[in-house]
Amino acid sequence: MLPSSTVENYLKAIYLGAMSLTPPQRLVPMGHLSSALGVVPGTATTMVKALAESGLVEYEPYVGVALTPAGEKLAALVLRRHRLVELFLVRVMGYGWDEVHEEAEQLEHVVSERLIDRMDEMLGRPEVDPHGDPIPTADGHIKRQEAQSLMTCPIGTPVTVMRVVDQDRSFLRFLEKHQLKPGAAIEVEDRDPAADSVRVRGSDDQRITIGTRAASKLLVQVAHTALVLMLLVLPALAQDGPAPAPRSPQKVLSGYMDFHYNKPEFADGALDFHRFVLLVTHSFSDRIRFVSELEVEHALVEGGEEKGELELEQAYIDFLLSRSFNVRAGMVLMPVGIINERHEPPNYYGVERPFVDTVIVPTTWFETGVGVHGEIGRGWRYRGYITAPLNAAEFSAEEGIREGRQKGSRANAGRVGTTGRLEYVGVRGLTLGTSGWSGPSGFEFRPRFDVPVRLAEADARYSRDRFEAKAEFAQVWIDNADLLNDALARRVGVNPNIGRAMRGYYAEGAYRIVSGARFGDVGAFARYEKFNTQHRMAAGDVPLRQFDRDAWVVGATYWPDPDIAVKMDYSIVSSRSSVIQAPNSFNVGLGWWF
Amino acid sequence: MRYLTLFLLCLVSAAATSSPRRAAGQAEGPTQVVEITAERFSFSPSEIRTKAGTTLQIRLRSDDTAHGFKIVGTDVNVELPKRGRGVVTVTFVPKAGRYTFECSNLCGAGHDFMRGTIVAGE
Repeated sequence: MLPSSTVENYLKAIYLGAMSLTPPQRLVPMGHLSSALGVVPGTATTMVKALAESGLVEYEPYVGVALTPAGEKLAALVLRRHRLVELFLVRVMGYGWDEVHEEAEQLEHVVSERLIDRMDEMLGRPEVDPHGDPIPTADGHIKRQEAQSLMTCPIGTPVTVMRVVDQDRSFLRFLEKHQLKPGAAIEVEDRDPAADSVRVRGSDDQRITIGTRAASKLLVQVAHTALVLMLLVLPALAQDGPAPAPRSPQKVLSGYMDFHYNKPEFADGALDFHRFVLLVTHSFSDRIRFVSELEVEHALVEGGEEKGELELEQAYIDFLLSRSFNVRAGMVLMPVGIINERHEPPNYYGVERPFVDTVIVPTTWFETGVGVHGEIGRGWRYRGYITAPLNAAEFSAEEGIREGRQKGSRANAGRVGTTGRLEYVGVRGLTLGTSGWSGPSGFEFRPRFDVPVRLAEADARYSRDRFEAKAEFAQVWIDNADLLNDALARRVGVNPNIGRAMRGYYAEGAYRIVSGARFGDVGAFARYEKFNTQHRMAAGDVPLRQFDRDAWVVGATYWPDPDIAVKMDYSIVSSRSSVIQAPNSFNVGLGWWF
Repeated sequence: MRYLTLFLLCLVSAAATSSPRRAAGQAEGPTQVVEITAERFSFSPSEIRTKAGTTLQIRLRSDDTAHGFKIVGTDVNVELPKRGRGVVTVTFVPKAGRYTFECSNLCGAGHDFMRGTIVAGE
């Protein structure tokens, strides 16, 4: 007998009936079946006898009916079609989850296996439909769910809604309105069957009282059970659960913020709203774009005093000519190191940026200039800019070239600097880069002498699943450092003791201890850094050992959202000096991107 | 009525994915599934090689923030949900030629570097 829609409906009803019986029974009573199908018992019995003759069910008169293996597989395939159609309608066609059941009831009997397989593939082989119902595989296998209803789950224990077993439209709308859809984190606060009420607290502390019948239709898992499940299957659950139809990006305003508490040893802690950054973009056309990044550092800017800074860190126009050749002009970030171009707080571990990316590579390093960038194929890409140079008169022994950044503020451009980066991103999870900067930076001392500065850098990042590692090496050479020290000593009365070479490197390993959990991700990291701003001294200058430093930074980051990072770390800094030591510090940070 | 609904479903399915588009049921070329991971500031892989007429099913996942995926010169432009929030599948049937794709959702300082290419040979 060919499985007509009536046959399929019977098989499906028997399948679902057997699943819903409490306690579980092999045979579904005929009364239960006829009620589910909306037919009189006699009609159901006649049909079941025919199904038994076809070998699809086992029928025991006056007891009930059960599916044979062949019948069970056919029923599972009907459910597969039904649930995939529902998910397709929601995710691809923009239906509401309350609108799809009736459509799927019709389409489950007419869609071909080929179309269903294509839908399945297009949807990414989902495991559940928009209501949390498991989707059988193409061979009829269905994953069992361990869930309990709101009537039986423990009171006062966080649970996660996994499934809704009623497809009534008004009920589904009610659940959506009160944020009780699958995936919602809730808690049963009180349950009173006598009063037909179950009080539920939502994740946003909203409280709602529902009837016991409604509560019995919401299947949940205790949060820690759900957590274990999510750790195992979350990628599938997250990607395949109810999701909105794809939408087009619209953002033109973004930003990031960085709020810190730093507690150095032997000193009071400080609260600092370190960075408030707004990015504004505008597209003149598909191929011509403007991008800007305006930053307020340390929250307060006062004229003439050492407070915060208001900086225009990026403001450029990109002329996107081709994949391999594009022109950029304006205030640009130097393409040097890991952090300088990738400095959004949720991106990196640690409250503060690495020391090497502060005193050797002077992050955030930006300057006015013009240049080109592009991809040259097989994962290789480049950028190269001509920019205003550094100002050697601002170099220091402790912070190297950092204070020499002109930051595009009436920057001397009598001679220019050049910078470039070559990067390989051709292997998933791996980024290899090398970059350099070179420029005559002694414009305040010309024509007597110049101060050519060169920086070379190499870095690597690798991430796979929960593991992430990165390493960076950077070295700076300052020519004529002896002349520079002499000239500055005459100017300020003290020899600044600027080194002729500075070197730093670091290695960091990190692991996401929790990944994909409903409450977010947690990662831990450790980083070792070595940095010396007096790696080599000019003849006659003596290196100060307190500038030969290394640091261990260990800590953790909690991401309640991929764009929000709550960070905590402890930084142990030591120097070669037995007299002057940098203090260790305990740091807490909150950073976010939007 | 149900066949009409099915027909409409097929049509809209094709329309919802990409351009050039093709309704299900017509003669089809082979299908190639490509998985792309996006993270600041690169797509991996950033180069897809295929043959003209192949149905590319591009499964896109972000490893950090919300990115965009736009194939320049077509109407393919979708937002990639944040890490752990799901996968977006784009179906695209290229003609012979070279297509540039890029991030279309401002994602940070290196946003404009997030580009890649689809090379469709004859």
